[in-house]
Amino acid sequence: MATGVGRRGSKWLAAARTPLGACSIVLLTLVVALAVLAPILWQDRAFAVDTDAIGQGPSGTHLLGTDSLGRDILFRVLVATRLSVTLAVLATVIGVTVGLVLGALPSVLPRAAGRLVISVVTIAVAFPGLLLALFFAVIFGVGTHGAVLAIAFAMAPSFARLAQTLAASVVGRDFVSAAKVAGVGRIRLLVRHVLPNIGEPLVVNATIGAGAALLAFAGLSFLGIGVQAPDFDWGRLLNEGLDGIYLNPAAALAPGVAVVLAGLAFNLVGEAVAGVVGVRTRSARIGRRSVPAAGTAAAEEHGDDALLVVENLQVAFPRPSGWTVPVRGVSFTVRAGEAVGVVGESGSGKSLTGLAVSRLVETPGVVTADRLEFAGTPLLTTPERELRGLLGTSLAMVFQDPMTSFNPTRRIGRQLAEVSEQHQGLPRRKAFERAVGRLRSVRIPAAERRARQYPHEFSGGMRQRAMIGMGLMGEPRLIIADEPTTALDVTVQRQLLRLLARTRTEGDTAILLISHDIAVVSQTCDRMLVMYAGRVVEDLLTGDLAAGPRHPYTRALLAATLELDTDRAEPLTVIPGRPPEPDRVPAGCAFAARCPAATDQCLVEDPVLESVTAAHRVACWHPQEDAAPERAREAVTAGGAE
Amino acid sequence: MSELMFDAVSVRYGGRRGLTAVDQVSLTVPAGQVVGLVGESGSGKSTLARAAVGLAPVSAGRVLLGGADVRGLPRRRPLQLVFQDPYSSLDPRMSIGESITEAMPRGAHRGSAGRRAEVARLLELVNLDPDRAATLPGHLSGGQRQRVALARALAGRPDVLIADEITSALDVSVQGAVLNLVRSLQRRLNLSMLFISHNLAVVRYLSDQIAVMYLGRIVEVGPAEQVLTDPQHRYTRELLAAAPSAHSSLFDGDLGDLADTEPADPHHPPSGCRYHPRCPIGPLVHVDRTVCVSEDPAEGAARRRHRAACHFTASDLAPTAIPRGGSAS
Amino acid sequence: MTAAVASAGIRDNPWLSFAGRRLGRFVVSLWVLASTAFLMIQLVPGDPVRAALGMTAPVELVNARRQALGLDDPLWVQYGHYLRGLFTGDFGTSMSSGLPVAQVIGDRLPGTLKLAVLAFAVVVVVAVPVGVVFAVLTRGGRRRGVELGFTSTTVLLAAVPEFLVAVGLVALFAVALGWFPVAGRGDASAFVLPVAALAIGPAAVLSRVVRVEMLSVLGNDFIRTARAKRLPARLVYVRHALPNALTATLTLGGLMLTGMVAGTVLVENVFAWPGLGSTIVQSILQKDYPLVQGIVLVYGVGVLLVNLVIDVLLALLDPRSTIRES
Ligand code: SF4
Ligand code: SF4
Repeated sequence: MATGVGRRGSKWLAAARTPLGACSIVLLTLVVALAVLAPILWQDRAFAVDTDAIGQGPSGTHLLGTDSLGRDILFRVLVATRLSVTLAVLATVIGVTVGLVLGALPSVLPRAAGRLVISVVTIAVAFPGLLLALFFAVIFGVGTHGAVLAIAFAMAPSFARLAQTLAASVVGRDFVSAAKVAGVGRIRLLVRHVLPNIGEPLVVNATIGAGAALLAFAGLSFLGIGVQAPDFDWGRLLNEGLDGIYLNPAAALAPGVAVVLAGLAFNLVGEAVAGVVGVRTRSARIGRRSVPAAGTAAAEEHGDDALLVVENLQVAFPRPSGWTVPVRGVSFTVRAGEAVGVVGESGSGKSLTGLAVSRLVETPGVVTADRLEFAGTPLLTTPERELRGLLGTSLAMVFQDPMTSFNPTRRIGRQLAEVSEQHQGLPRRKAFERAVGRLRSVRIPAAERRARQYPHEFSGGMRQRAMIGMGLMGEPRLIIADEPTTALDVTVQRQLLRLLARTRTEGDTAILLISHDIAVVSQTCDRMLVMYAGRVVEDLLTGDLAAGPRHPYTRALLAATLELDTDRAEPLTVIPGRPPEPDRVPAGCAFAARCPAATDQCLVEDPVLESVTAAHRVACWHPQEDAAPERAREAVTAGGAE
Repeated sequence: MSELMFDAVSVRYGGRRGLTAVDQVSLTVPAGQVVGLVGESGSGKSTLARAAVGLAPVSAGRVLLGGADVRGLPRRRPLQLVFQDPYSSLDPRMSIGESITEAMPRGAHRGSAGRRAEVARLLELVNLDPDRAATLPGHLSGGQRQRVALARALAGRPDVLIADEITSALDVSVQGAVLNLVRSLQRRLNLSMLFISHNLAVVRYLSDQIAVMYLGRIVEVGPAEQVLTDPQHRYTRELLAAAPSAHSSLFDGDLGDLADTEPADPHHPPSGCRYHPRCPIGPLVHVDRTVCVSEDPAEGAARRRHRAACHFTASDLAPTAIPRGGSAS
Repeated sequence: MTAAVASAGIRDNPWLSFAGRRLGRFVVSLWVLASTAFLMIQLVPGDPVRAALGMTAPVELVNARRQALGLDDPLWVQYGHYLRGLFTGDFGTSMSSGLPVAQVIGDRLPGTLKLAVLAFAVVVVVAVPVGVVFAVLTRGGRRRGVELGFTSTTVLLAAVPEFLVAVGLVALFAVALGWFPVAGRGDASAFVLPVAALAIGPAAVLSRVVRVEMLSVLGNDFIRTARAKRLPARLVYVRHALPNALTATLTLGGLMLTGMVAGTVLVENVFAWPGLGSTIVQSILQKDYPLVQGIVLVYGVGVLLVNLVIDVLLALLDPRSTIRES
């Protein structure tokens, strides 16, 4: 739960405001009201025996007909609300309590006893509730008390398990470890850290459990094991009604409907709250309002060898408050065989730019551009089907997290071979052979054997190699690598970057390397694009980095990057403040709030990316001139406020 | 101020098929000094930190704090740990003030007013607005959360602070501010500190001494500048060479065929020197160096420069200093 | 010596060691189940024989029956008898009919099995494709209307317990329309209503689960990889998403199959279906404890078996599972 947690009650209120929540609350109120009022109002009529009207169908006097003693079905159903609901709630309360005790026992008992409790719970959880209830009904005997206890005990194991799992997941988190290190005792740990963080899901589940208990109780009574005559709950009424179903179907259906409605009331309240409390995100329900128009960017000169041309690229996502635009008008060109780096901090839009140019942004994201061409083919207007062959063989992707980027249930070799089967029409065996060859070419030792292994048998570095190998199954003209080495160790990182560099020279393949690390990019690429708040703010040759970038942000970023020869005597350079949120980008230059060179013009007018020299573009009203980047240092004690 | 000492500490997980995450590590953090600990993921550096504060089981050896075994110390120890991930290390349901208060030693501050004053003091110490004590962590950025985590650690009045990858979840522009803060705090409060990171540049900036860990063992330890300019263990050299830098080429110091070997499996550590399957000066390159496979270089390491766990340390061979990384400290 | 070698072999082969562990757990669970069923009778308050024969039964008869059932022996002797009985297939004698429990169960079990297996087959055949299709239709927040319709329909269907579905079906198709028989076990048409009653709720639940699982798998990085390979959508869904969604689906499917076993108890009672379910309810009401005990054992073994099969299937499907276990 990384997002902010507001006042505790507010979420429950929010739950009530959704249509589902409102509906469920109305239903629940109705059920509770009936439970309280019905026996007071209609007790007599529910018991009034009318020997003249035995087993009648619905009529004006008896809306739902009468039972075998001539008693009015409708009133009996209404009056039965109290007993049905009370018993269900009672069973739930007992069941949840027993469950929590069972769940907490292992942490209190000595080890062996604790494990015994856990294994008993594990076995019991495997059994469906009704079977457990029947089992306990045998022990506790037929009748109301027996049924309450039976249902309660049948609920207990699953609750114990739930509490255990929830608690285990909380205990595994760092803040509990942190509290332990701070010397917080076990009891306080439980009360202050564990319980509050599992309380809500427990309450939600208890509510849903009450619904289940209601249904289970109806089931037991229906079987004749629960409530005994002359008492009656809905299950009992159902049982009686079923016997006369040919005479009066309503007598069987009415209690059934009542059970379902009441069960739904509990279920829906639980679900509604879970929807708000839990992580289930509801995406915005806004109409297809037009996407905000991007500003114009100066058109760039493209040589004949332009492989990827991007002009005024914009990516937008709908949010309840309107559109948020994480990529705001990005333009650049990648020439054949060129290595271009994209540098920026988290939230700068660099990864999204990579996804957008490879057409991997999915709805509800909207990608627009004045021009987006790969190898001369427009990517936004050509239908997906026609693009598939081109992109499948000529554009390769390498993603950030090698641990999750392969399908865990398929062998590595097959995942590579798939590309050739699909796009080059190779038969299975040929494709697999090619996959082995590609794995060998990215220097995976024992490629033949490893091709038959699953991803989890590969180390992170090897997977990333395999990912590059997958890109090489076709004849890629461009490899887009999105933070390919961020998750890896430095020695492995260097191996991979070298592999990328080698791949590039061998196949005359262009590379778009997206990274947060300016050093990595400058080591690998000819040119770099520096991104800030969804814009390219500077486009320069990496060779010019030492001579001095022109944009204040690039300079600050460079100065803030720690190197092995950073002066230890001096405090580190920091960039004060933080980048704007993508949905709250200010008018004017997005960097203005943090920029030492900002002027009034910067606050109102957004600078456009313009060429300063042939191979150098900057989006800044006051590009820095001096060769050596000025190091804006702060006092140590200030440390850089955010 | 007291020193933190690991005395042949081992941490083992699991039973028969278990894994020794930390193997016989001895390391001293002298009073008032910063010891940097580097190593790749899986080298056991975080486990060592967790062992010190009792979050990982010490299966052999002792952790001594000011000469006393930490297991014998009271629950609230003058030894605190700051975690890597600022998003999970603060309870989302507790205001940052509550989190900090919780870590204060019992009875150190009279009444709620005293505690509130202390919270304000600590927040100011980490450059946060004291008025924000009632904020929930959800409303803070990563950098701010990490400051809160620091404040909470300081609330325990520690003599020794362990920082476990505290900047690796942060952006470059925020990282600098946190490092500046850590350094000024360390100096002002004269803390002894074990600073753990995979990033050599970060470790170098803060540390008086540097220890290098590989597969559960310390392979080299010494004064920071010496370790960086005159590394004895081949693995240290590799780490130095691999550190990305805006002004060095990717192909400096080519490794040849060994460049593409995989990291060893911690479940089955290699015999002898654990680095031997990757070592460019080891048995895979020099066939006569069978001693690397058969004998553990940890024995006799104490006699070598930087206590290097290597049979063929750099000073045994022709001394070649690494040209860069040699600025004054 | 050989034992050591064998155990080393088991240790080296993850499959063997997994099978060994899982089988061990099954045996232990069986034993716990048997012991619990034994304890159940001991825990019944009062004298079960007196309870079964009624208050009016003469003391001699009660005592004779107690003797015959061995209820006067010390507990551990009874327990020994009981376990030995289980091994030889002797589940005791029904108090109400005087028939061996094993025979009663043998008569009734096939009816229940047919019902449960058929219903489960219907659930799987219906729910998996429906879940996949709706996941694909509504992925990434598309087609909110379809999503709303799907969710509310399935929530509603899942909220109605099977015996109420059964009653509703009877009222509609048997009473009002007269298409199917109300009760009993005649030709194939007699299966339609009970199977439908059993299958509708679980099918709704399972299709919801399949959809949610598919959606979460579709959000995974490796799906993006598959799309980056420009595979046709069909392959992305069927080859890459579905197998990963199935593991969770299978886990739940197992739970549901056991739940259906329980559901048969109620549904059999609605349709007067001659199976174990109607028998156990009668025997509970008649306090025929040996019979109850026997049927509880059968249900229990069924549940444990289903769990065992599911675990093995999961291990087969997911290449990582054996490693995760250790
Ligand atoms: S436009 Fe102004 S605020 Fe923006 S970077 Fe340039 S000088 Fe700074
Ligand atoms: S002991 Fe041998 S293998 Fe190990 S680091 Fe030294 S030379 Fe390399």
